[in-house]
Amino acid sequence: MVEYPQAEGLDRVFSALADPTRRAILQALSQSPSTITEIAKPFPFSLNAISKHVMVLERAGLVHREIKGREHRCRIDPDPLAEANLWLEHYRQFWEPRLDALQVYVAKKFKASKKGIAHGKLH
Amino acid sequence: MESSTDGRYRVVTRRRMPAPREIVFEAWIDPKGIHEWMCPGDAVSAEAILDVRVGGSYRLVMKGKDKDHVHFGTYQVVEPPSKLVFTWAGAENPADVTLVTVEFSPHGDESELVLTHERFSKPDPAQRYENGWNAIAEKFAAYLSRHSSEMKRA
Repeated sequence: MVEYPQAEGLDRVFSALADPTRRAILQALSQSPSTITEIAKPFPFSLNAISKHVMVLERAGLVHREIKGREHRCRIDPDPLAEANLWLEHYRQFWEPRLDALQVYVAKKFKASKKGIAHGKLH
Repeated sequence: MESSTDGRYRVVTRRRMPAPREIVFEAWIDPKGIHEWMCPGDAVSAEAILDVRVGGSYRLVMKGKDKDHVHFGTYQVVEPPSKLVFTWAGAENPADVTLVTVEFSPHGDESELVLTHERFSKPDPAQRYENGWNAIAEKFAAYLSRHSSEMKRA
């Protein structure tokens, strides 16, 4: 993807989002900005491990860390995700309603096939 | 949403289907089935001409209120009832050939469908603005919870 200047950034965003712990951290931060200690509370990992995850999110531009004295407060920046996501969302938006319709269609077909069997007709 | 090993991107959608996979697979290769489910929303109807075999082609016309959308491609893998792989291009940009893989796995009386659409080329920068960044930012938390299971490194 060297031909696209933003691609390296996109790679970092996708790679940062590939980890479930980092997604959970982002989800928590989407509620409110938090310190590393606050972020770490629900996780069974050390502060150091959580701090490393936050660093990956920082490098992807998804999280910004403000340092006030000894307190590191992290807040979310959704812009890189929006950038990474929007053009893919175009394709997702194509398939989602079609798969909704497919669910309805196959449910109907399945019901009909069961009725067929009940009446001794095999499909 | 995933990043594939070649650095290009893919959309992965998983769906539980309320029917055995044989019925779901059939819905993809039967023009009458496609006519019913391929045209939600603005599309008025979908016409499909399918030659379902490896190397065979398909042509799909989704008739909209204002204009028709034509898609076409070639089947690369046809393995009933578990897998279907076909190329996917639109008449508006026929050189932009992407790849769709649909996998069907059994779950008792139901089944799971995994659709992977990949080999996208360059993102369209204009579209980022068109879709509205602010709205996306607001929906961010909801987005994460909805898609977190789908976001994996390929």
